[in-house]
Amino acid sequence: MSSCNQSKRLATLFVCALALVISGCRSETKPSGSSAGLDEPKRVAVIVSTLNNPWFVVLAESARDSAIELGYDAVIFDSQNDPSKETAHFDNVIASGYSAVLFNPTDADGSIANVRRAKEADLPVFCMDREINTTDAAVSQILSDNYSGCVAIGQHFVKEVGESGNYAELLGLVGDNNTPNRSDGFHSVVDRYPDLKMVAQQSADFDRAKALEVMEAILQANPDIKAVFCGNDAMAMGAYQALLAAGKAEQVKIFGFDGADDVVAMIQEGKIVATGMQFPKLMAKTAAEYADKYLNGDHDLSQKVPVAVELVHQGNASKYGDFGQAGSE
Amino acid sequence: MILRQRKWIIRFVFVVGALVLLYRLPLFHIVSLEDANKANAKATAAKFDPVKFVNTFWDSELLPSKSAAVDAATLVAKVKADPAKARQQHGRQVGLSQSYFYHVTGVGRVVSVEKNFIGLAISPDSEMTEVILEAGILFGNTVRDGTGLLDVNDFNNTQDFNAISTELNRRIEANVLPTLREIATVGAEVRFTGCVQVNDEDSDLQPLKVVPFIVEAK
Repeated sequence: MSSCNQSKRLATLFVCALALVISGCRSETKPSGSSAGLDEPKRVAVIVSTLNNPWFVVLAESARDSAIELGYDAVIFDSQNDPSKETAHFDNVIASGYSAVLFNPTDADGSIANVRRAKEADLPVFCMDREINTTDAAVSQILSDNYSGCVAIGQHFVKEVGESGNYAELLGLVGDNNTPNRSDGFHSVVDRYPDLKMVAQQSADFDRAKALEVMEAILQANPDIKAVFCGNDAMAMGAYQALLAAGKAEQVKIFGFDGADDVVAMIQEGKIVATGMQFPKLMAKTAAEYADKYLNGDHDLSQKVPVAVELVHQGNASKYGDFGQAGSE
Repeated sequence: MILRQRKWIIRFVFVVGALVLLYRLPLFHIVSLEDANKANAKATAAKFDPVKFVNTFWDSELLPSKSAAVDAATLVAKVKADPAKARQQHGRQVGLSQSYFYHVTGVGRVVSVEKNFIGLAISPDSEMTEVILEAGILFGNTVRDGTGLLDVNDFNNTQDFNAISTELNRRIEANVLPTLREIATVGAEVRFTGCVQVNDEDSDLQPLKVVPFIVEAK
């Protein structure tokens, strides 16, 4: 009798386990936003690569605020530059019945799988600033034209530094397309001047503290550099700190990229030479508007929308601030 | 006896269930070396080749696009009269940007020859430089974006799209600009087709700065 009961229990257990596995494996086809009540606003998730950089804070908060202005509830998720955290955020937003994702990826290739899973769950994704290397996963990608922006910086670099001398370059995150796009745009100009010699090129992961360390090491090995090109403004700030500590802040010309408020102010003060204004608020607002159009039935949206980057230098820095230019947004 | 049979039935069901589960959700995949090599070869073959792309694009699309370009004399006159209207009628914008492009063709008389540019007068009785043909080192996306023939949405990533600009500029420097320098003597008439990028209307409209991809003596 007891053996019979045990068998029944085991059979029941097996059936339950099988049911759990099957239900877990079932593809999610629930219509987006269906968990929300009819009167509740739809929810938009803002998944951002990092909030450890003021520029991305502006991007994320602008996306959230734009979504709220359009009538949605919006929540920011910080991936902390960690693809596994990003995956967990996608798991969360897919399971929680969000209606759309405004997404700033951590990795151009690694983030594709997350966007595909969201697409399979009928959750539309709109990339902001950073690209994923496919055109069939996200609904739209609103991207800074990094290459062209850095062509302009390269031309200004040659004008300010001259056609000869040693310089260094600080690269951003290796997995992010923005890193090679910026570097390639810059080098498409400076490499045409053979007497301009790059004596050091190192990654500082778009991070200010890392840039400080990397710049200190570069200065020890190359005390004669005339300039440094940094792939973002956080690294330009770190490089400036290192140069200031070494007593070379006036000798070495610094070039950044982003258009961060601090750096625009430093350009006006003559501490940094130039940067590229990326317009994070415009990108975030456009992504939110695209999501709203899509959720309201307009599916005729461009896959990629390049956003022009403008050169900010001492001659025009007063026209810029608050992550944009007056009248441009 | 019956109990023993039941036990075996339960064990059998468990084993079959486990096998089905493992079949549906394998713990790992084994890929043959041959298949792995094929996948790598496919990835390599799919890698974008900007030189090959531009070779085809140049002959099949770029050169024939001359027929779609706006006449230089018409554009110069319209820009002088009403820049906003000229932009509306003939300008082309890419993405979210304040800059825009013109795709232009025409004939001009050489009025100045400098290291990095050739100055042309376009209007019949003008001695002013109304168009500049860029003749130095070329940067940027003027030709890639100016004709409207190429769309970033047709490319998997922007690195491939940017590589087209670099290759177009290289090809113009290598194949077009030497001819331009050879034929551009003051007073000579030059037929050209190219693109203009207007970033700042105060400095980029008068004269129009053209990156030429076709030049020939008239």
